[in-house]
Amino acid sequence: MVATTPTAARSTRRRPGSGRQLLRLAILVGIVGVVLYPLIWMVGTSFKSQAEIVNNIGLLPEVFTPGNYTSGWTNFDFSFGRFFLNSAMVSLLTVVGNAVSCLLAAYAFARLRFRLRGMWFTLMIGTLLLPGHVLIIPQYILFRSLGLVGGDWPYLPLLIPQFLATEAFFIFLMVQFMRGIPRELDEAAKIDGATAFGIFRHVILPLSRPALVTTAIFSFIWTWNDFFRQLVFLSELQDYTVPVALTLFIDSTSASAVGPMFAMSVLSLLPVFLFFLAFQRLLVEGINTSGLKG
Amino acid sequence: MHPATSPTSGVSAEQAHRTPLPRRRLLRRFVAAAVAVPLLLGGAVACGSDDEAGSDGKVELSIFWWGGDARNQLTQQALELYTKKNPDVTFKTTWQANQGYFDKLATLTAGGNPPDIFQIDDNFLAEYASRNTTLDLNEYKDGGKLDVSKFPESLWQYGVVDGKLAGLAAGENTQGLVYNRTLLTENGLPEPTTGQSWEEHVAWAEQVSKKTKVPGTMDPSADYKAFWVWLRQQGKDLYSGNDLGFTAEDVTRWFELWKGARDRGATPTADVIHEGNATDITKQLVVTGKAGTSWVWVNQMPELKKNTNDELGVVAYPGDPSAQWARASMYWSVFRGGKHKDVAVDVLNFLVNDPEAVKLLGTDRGLPSNLDLRRAVSAEIDDPAMKQSIEVETKLAETFGASPQVPIKGHSKVRAELIKAAEEAQYGRLTPAQAAEQFFTACKSAIA
Amino acid sequence: MALTTAPGPTRRGDGSVRPPAARGAGRNRHGEGLAGYVFLSPWLLGLMAVTAIPMLLSLYLSFTNYDILTPLSEVEWVGLANYERMFTSDPAYWHAVQVTLRFALIAVPLKLAAALGVALLLNRAWRGVGLFRSLFYLPSLLGGSVALAIVWVNMFNRDGAFNSFLALFGIEGKPWVNDPDWALETLMVLAIWQFGAPMVIFLAGLKQVPVELYEAASVDGASRVSQFWHVTLPMLSPVIFFNLVLETINGFQGFTAAFVLSNGTGGPVDSTLMYTLNLYISGFTDLEMGYASAMAWVFLLAIALITAIFFSTGRFWVHYSDGER
Repeated sequence: MVATTPTAARSTRRRPGSGRQLLRLAILVGIVGVVLYPLIWMVGTSFKSQAEIVNNIGLLPEVFTPGNYTSGWTNFDFSFGRFFLNSAMVSLLTVVGNAVSCLLAAYAFARLRFRLRGMWFTLMIGTLLLPGHVLIIPQYILFRSLGLVGGDWPYLPLLIPQFLATEAFFIFLMVQFMRGIPRELDEAAKIDGATAFGIFRHVILPLSRPALVTTAIFSFIWTWNDFFRQLVFLSELQDYTVPVALTLFIDSTSASAVGPMFAMSVLSLLPVFLFFLAFQRLLVEGINTSGLKG
Repeated sequence: MHPATSPTSGVSAEQAHRTPLPRRRLLRRFVAAAVAVPLLLGGAVACGSDDEAGSDGKVELSIFWWGGDARNQLTQQALELYTKKNPDVTFKTTWQANQGYFDKLATLTAGGNPPDIFQIDDNFLAEYASRNTTLDLNEYKDGGKLDVSKFPESLWQYGVVDGKLAGLAAGENTQGLVYNRTLLTENGLPEPTTGQSWEEHVAWAEQVSKKTKVPGTMDPSADYKAFWVWLRQQGKDLYSGNDLGFTAEDVTRWFELWKGARDRGATPTADVIHEGNATDITKQLVVTGKAGTSWVWVNQMPELKKNTNDELGVVAYPGDPSAQWARASMYWSVFRGGKHKDVAVDVLNFLVNDPEAVKLLGTDRGLPSNLDLRRAVSAEIDDPAMKQSIEVETKLAETFGASPQVPIKGHSKVRAELIKAAEEAQYGRLTPAQAAEQFFTACKSAIA
Repeated sequence: MALTTAPGPTRRGDGSVRPPAARGAGRNRHGEGLAGYVFLSPWLLGLMAVTAIPMLLSLYLSFTNYDILTPLSEVEWVGLANYERMFTSDPAYWHAVQVTLRFALIAVPLKLAAALGVALLLNRAWRGVGLFRSLFYLPSLLGGSVALAIVWVNMFNRDGAFNSFLALFGIEGKPWVNDPDWALETLMVLAIWQFGAPMVIFLAGLKQVPVELYEAASVDGASRVSQFWHVTLPMLSPVIFFNLVLETINGFQGFTAAFVLSNGTGGPVDSTLMYTLNLYISGFTDLEMGYASAMAWVFLLAIALITAIFFSTGRFWVHYSDGER
């Protein structure tokens, strides 16, 4: 199956209702069912009462309790929407920061020749390898000594690194994609007199859309879900983001608003789901025809 | 020092204020020097001068605690009350759930700006106190600025580490065995009682298992607080000075007691016990219906009740109840390097001794430490589960023994190792003696 | 590789034609060198200001007894003691190494296979494909929330959904998440379940394969299977390489799932004590951040070695259209 379907990918052959298509659909629906069962269970649980969540492990609530959503939304001094806005702002700015800064660095690594390129590339990969937990405290000390922690706008320590291409993951990702772009295109542009920036602007940038879309998706979603850094750098309730706020429902020793927590967890999936749904379209369209056929 | 108001300039001036750094050692290692020194300059910002207030007399204190939203509301109200009475003092509050709380507190401390006032528990108090992060409250106590005269003696003493009063008990709790009363009444079974022996308890649990098909009692062999009470009843203790207060043989006996219980069917199977070994309210077997009891703190009763439709009851742990003590459920501590330490201590005093504030705070952090106010607060409680837990604790308070020393450095590791070793025995991978040996060895290195 | 022909003629986006510039090789190199550093400057700044200092500091701390609470100025240099302890007298450390190896060796290949398989199924544009992609991505959106832990326990507990499913076939299940012999496997299932990230990267990579290559291949009469082996796989190889390297790193670093599912303990009886979880516990719970830093640097060296092996074998099987290496 793996070996046969992909080749259909590009060909224009498309016979509706063919047996092969039905089979593929059936397989897909089957996998989706299995994959989504835990999530459906989660949605079901968000409608259970407190005591039921702990005791009834079934898919559906015995007593339908939509109140989890309203009580979760209004649980704090601010509506939960405030945390959504905070998270959305941090996530969107992170997307912008990563997309711009990592693309620039990736272009340099993938296409330009300069002294010490190999060394810098190795270092870049190296920054991926150190477990983050030993970096939190040094980073905190560093940002604090730079006066960035706890200012009027407390998100600076979360965002500045993103505008300085510190997420080597995305650089490496983009490098791999750019290396898939035939160099003949650069050469042709060079013959036309394009500078390094011109090539970047007219050849690489338009052809990097899949990598950029991927970067945007991951930046958004990972930031939306990031807990530890946001916990460390944000200190006021009004500044908290969704992952930090979600933990506030359950203080393992003294509070246990599991129902509202589930409800808000389900809600917090929506923005990322919609973001993904919107951006994956850009993956569907592809770039090949516009970029290569000319 | 409050981050929002901290000037980013003036670092060198404040740096000069500090005791000279042992630079030589750092400079010997050039990496260290290149990297650490600029950071030290930054970290040094926190330790500013100890002036009492700004030129305008205004003081802003940062305060940090863990808890749920209910605690947030109550604490905010109490702090507002303080500001009302002392208009020059305002608060910058931070609160979060206990998940990640100590990670953040440690990080803030490392960055040189821990909060002026922070909530802490006996798990970490010795760690912070022994590194001189906490202010010694003794001089304030002796000078009359911090009043603990209405506290049970053993309660405030449970905040003393190496002779220093490192934490002020924000509330009191004690061990409580919570049981499913509905299950017992429906099956015509007796309820457990305070003072029953461990053997009686196991026999009772076996009887419950047989009659109800629900395992009679949770196996607490992985639970340090149950182990601790049991040790004290054997004339031992968890810690003694900077050493362990028990022997490997004691642990073996403890593990064997519960192996016997498991063999008799008095407890759930190992996988279910493992679930119950988590400290979360929602995972306690008495509310998930997987066992007849849970070994918790008395003041957790009301929160447990929210997670089950069954009636719950609570008694002391088995054995002589005088092994239990007035335990500080959590403490307030003051950062030793803070700018407004006197004011911070005054806030502490207010939070535990001001009648209005204590009434506001209620029993959220445990029973009020001040006994006079505790009576007043208890009289006004309506919630039946809370009423019940207060009654039991008040009763137990009559027999409370002296408090043990605060757990020493390495305690969290000891707790984790006990769970590991007990589970090895519960899953039948090690005999009680082997598991005890493993635990004892691990403890020795954890507290070394 | 006969099929990977050069693409057709190209023209500039604005369609204009400019006279070719003088292209002295030396001059060009020089200009590129400058341009390289210009494009690299944000990253370099980030490296110097944000990444390098904390990394070097953690390296320094790995030779000290740093306990977080003691000010940096008072930490004591302990030489190689932390490293010695790791290798000679800490059974939990070696246990964590084993757990992590087992996890990575099984979960990483399966996750990649799942991601590639589903990506191939979802590559073609058809009505509703976007929805399917998003649905497959949904599990990855959950990250490591508290809710996820509750969900997973209820899927794989003694009375969980998975055992109900097994019961249909008359198989008696186990308390998977609470069984020390199986808890790590449920963690693997969780990792594989969240295959969305590599799937998206595969999808993006598939989009980059020039259509012309398939057309050329069909003209040459290549079968579908042969197109897959001779067009899709070679053209996708940079992305496969990327996913392999990154998922391996992620697999070894796997923290969140283990942390959330075991309540931060690595239990039952250390069966899910992943390397980074052990490191976290040492650093933040036991407050032995110096020791934790040493663990982190040994980890870095080990993963660097594995990554270097990947890169050195990559030249034999990764096909880059830019013609380098």
